Amino acid sequence: MPDGAGGPVLEVTDLVVCYGAAVALDRVTLQVGHGEMVALVGPNGAGKSTLLNTICGILRPAAGSIRLAGRVAQVPEGRQLFPDMSVEDNLRVGAWTVKERNPAWIYDLLPKLAELRQRTAGTLSGGEQQMVAVGRALMAKPDLLAVDELSLGLAPMVVEQLAEYLKRLNAERGMAILLVEQNARLALDICPRTYVLEAGQIALEGPSEELRQSQAVQAAYLGGRAELMDS
Amino acid sequence: MGLLLQLLLTGIAIGCGYALLATGFVFIHRVTRVVNFAQGGFAVIAGFVTYSALAAGLPHGVSEVLAVLAAALVGLVVGVLIIGLRDTPPLAALIMTIGVGFCLWALEVAVWGDQPLQFEGLGGVFAVAGVSIQYQYALIVAVTAATFALLALFFGHSYLGKVFTACASNPYAARLAGIDVRRVGIIAFALGGGLGGLAGVLLLSLRSLTFDSDVDLSINGFAAAIFGGLQRPWLALVGGVVLGIFEQLIAGYSRASYQKAVSLFVILAILVWRAARRREQT
Amino acid sequence: MNAHLDQATSKATGRLTRVRSVGFWAVLLVGVASVAAPPFLDEGQQTIYVLFTLSVIASVGLSLLMGFAGQVSLGQGAFYALGAYTAGLLAKQGAPPPLALLAAPVGTGLIAAAIGLPVLRLRGHYLAFATLAFHLIVLTVIAEARPVTGGDLGLGGIPPLLPAPFATPLVYCYVGWLAAAFVILLTGNLVRSRPGRGLRALASSEVGAASSGVAVGPDKLKVFAISAAYAGLAGGIYAFFLSYLSPGSFPILLSIQFLVMATVGGMGLVWGAVAGAAIITLLLQLLQILASQPGLPETLPAILNYAVYGLVLVLAMLLLPQGILPTLRDRLSRRWPE
Repeated sequence: MPDGAGGPVLEVTDLVVCYGAAVALDRVTLQVGHGEMVALVGPNGAGKSTLLNTICGILRPAAGSIRLAGRVAQVPEGRQLFPDMSVEDNLRVGAWTVKERNPAWIYDLLPKLAELRQRTAGTLSGGEQQMVAVGRALMAKPDLLAVDELSLGLAPMVVEQLAEYLKRLNAERGMAILLVEQNARLALDICPRTYVLEAGQIALEGPSEELRQSQAVQAAYLGGRAELMDS
Repeated sequence: MGLLLQLLLTGIAIGCGYALLATGFVFIHRVTRVVNFAQGGFAVIAGFVTYSALAAGLPHGVSEVLAVLAAALVGLVVGVLIIGLRDTPPLAALIMTIGVGFCLWALEVAVWGDQPLQFEGLGGVFAVAGVSIQYQYALIVAVTAATFALLALFFGHSYLGKVFTACASNPYAARLAGIDVRRVGIIAFALGGGLGGLAGVLLLSLRSLTFDSDVDLSINGFAAAIFGGLQRPWLALVGGVVLGIFEQLIAGYSRASYQKAVSLFVILAILVWRAARRREQT
Repeated sequence: MNAHLDQATSKATGRLTRVRSVGFWAVLLVGVASVAAPPFLDEGQQTIYVLFTLSVIASVGLSLLMGFAGQVSLGQGAFYALGAYTAGLLAKQGAPPPLALLAAPVGTGLIAAAIGLPVLRLRGHYLAFATLAFHLIVLTVIAEARPVTGGDLGLGGIPPLLPAPFATPLVYCYVGWLAAAFVILLTGNLVRSRPGRGLRALASSEVGAASSGVAVGPDKLKVFAISAAYAGLAGGIYAFFLSYLSPGSFPILLSIQFLVMATVGGMGLVWGAVAGAAIITLLLQLLQILASQPGLPETLPAILNYAVYGLVLVLAMLLLPQGILPTLRDRLSRRWPE
């Protein structure tokens, strides 16, 4: 497991999160190293978004610990942009926690956004919005980028393009990425290491290659079901 | 004809004052989803501070600024109470703002007594088309225009303004983007306090000031804010002016004691009509 | 494993039963004490007692509306006034007072149903504002309808509810007590009935209630009308008790007072409103006595009044959002050693 300098960027240990009496996450343990791309897959309702929200500090755990060696920024499920604001403003607002409010470097990274900078965010296509959401998260100069359901509601070509961007981010800038996905095939393709979350517990983990070969994973996530998700 | 013109101009001026109060409602509600029934209280406390400052010998201008700052401070404290300490559900927040209103009453009676007071605004009158208008009215309109212009600049062009707009538009996403929505909400309360204080400083020199002057102001401010659905300050301006004119016309052509009841009835009718229309659409 | 489960369940049930029986004994104690007290009170205290029972009635009504329809009404005082004027005017016109008293809740309920029809389309703060506006409009109408209501000067000379030997404050204490007891029992039954449970669903989620077959419209209207009728009944008794009415007797503060009482004891709970009314009445009386001592500023009673309302509302929402009774109940059931 590749670590960066001195330990993982994200270390979750025995995390327990409850909604009232219901246990959403049951002793979840996972790590993401510096500059790693890690996937978290699982069915709807497994607790993936709960995990992300807890990592980002929105939910409080009932037990267990989360250690972050740096900043985390989330690309939320469904983009969650500010629809009446321009793309440029959407980006700038993401920089609340850092000094650098100028999105110029984001336009270098994602040139498509430069074309769209004055457009009102609500008028963009799904793929364009997703890119804005990624850009907004990047403005916070995170050490870990948490991406929730990248492919939701987007055409496969668009998703591939976005995936390329993420891979480039990781390769060129060493950005650690935690990719939370229902689309297991996509996740296994992009990320070298994967966790499988089911009903609040880590059911499987390991190198994506191995998981891809596993019978259980193929049956549950890569069989007919995954095909439906892709089309 | 002269009477009509005078009533119209007076109504516009007072309506602008209501609009300032209304924008306070609007900003607080947009960012925090709380309806601040104590908004009129901010105006009244500013009125009292102006009175005391002037009585203590401070010049005009300084007294008023001091009063607005005091109101903003009160707004800040109220914000901390209502949203800063815990996540308050909307019903509880509403009840809390009513409670805050009473705390302000207690404070005001304790410091300034329960008898009506009066402080001076901008004295003198000038003539417009054969009708004499107080300078104070012109001042109200001018200040309101300037305030709206400043607010438009703030929200359209400043970073904090954009962050505000983001929090109002999608507080969940704002939270995810690392924005401390709670802190922004408290700032919204302070801003609402300042706007309320400004309205108080402008309007309350025109009438006698007592601790319960806030009821009338809150009702009018809220009514004006409703015009914009508690979301849009420009519509609140329109609403305030319409309300101001309407009230003046009733007071001028009918009995002044009907003024409040008729205004309220019309406001209620508008509210119910809009609610009915929304139901049909869904 | 089953033995464990049974033991846990019976422990929980045991705890609940114990809390329930504490509640039962508390109610019994309150009932007995409140019946026995009036003869031992002087006239001034009896007056306070009567007004206390009336505020219980109005607050229970408000608590019903708030707890079960989840809406805030700032107009309960208006219905109190409407009930008072209805009873007073009818009695002055020659109607036998008990009949006039019966007309008060009925008339008020009908008026509430009539205005509820359009107004209940509003929610949350809009409804609160609308009820406040309603109160103000009612006050204006009463003040302006001088030939009928006596306007600002007031309506005097209302005949007593019961003829001569029964026209003492002591009798009104028991009239008030009976009315309050009736209202409490009635509300208790309403709450436990099937429509009552459906209403509770209303309070938590309007969408949920609609999908579970509870019609949102008519039930909300019924609760609103019943809640207003309670206030009307209390107002009617008030008219006979004081035999003089004026708009000044029913300021906005009155609506707020009922709100505070309904809120602080426990929202949506019948006994919560009773507890709230008792606490606030006692608190205000205490402060009145304290503040009326010679040498203290004249405005002190008013200051303390407002401070009490304000602080109680703010602190109750911050610290005890459930209200006093439910918090007590939680604490008690946790304290029982096992």
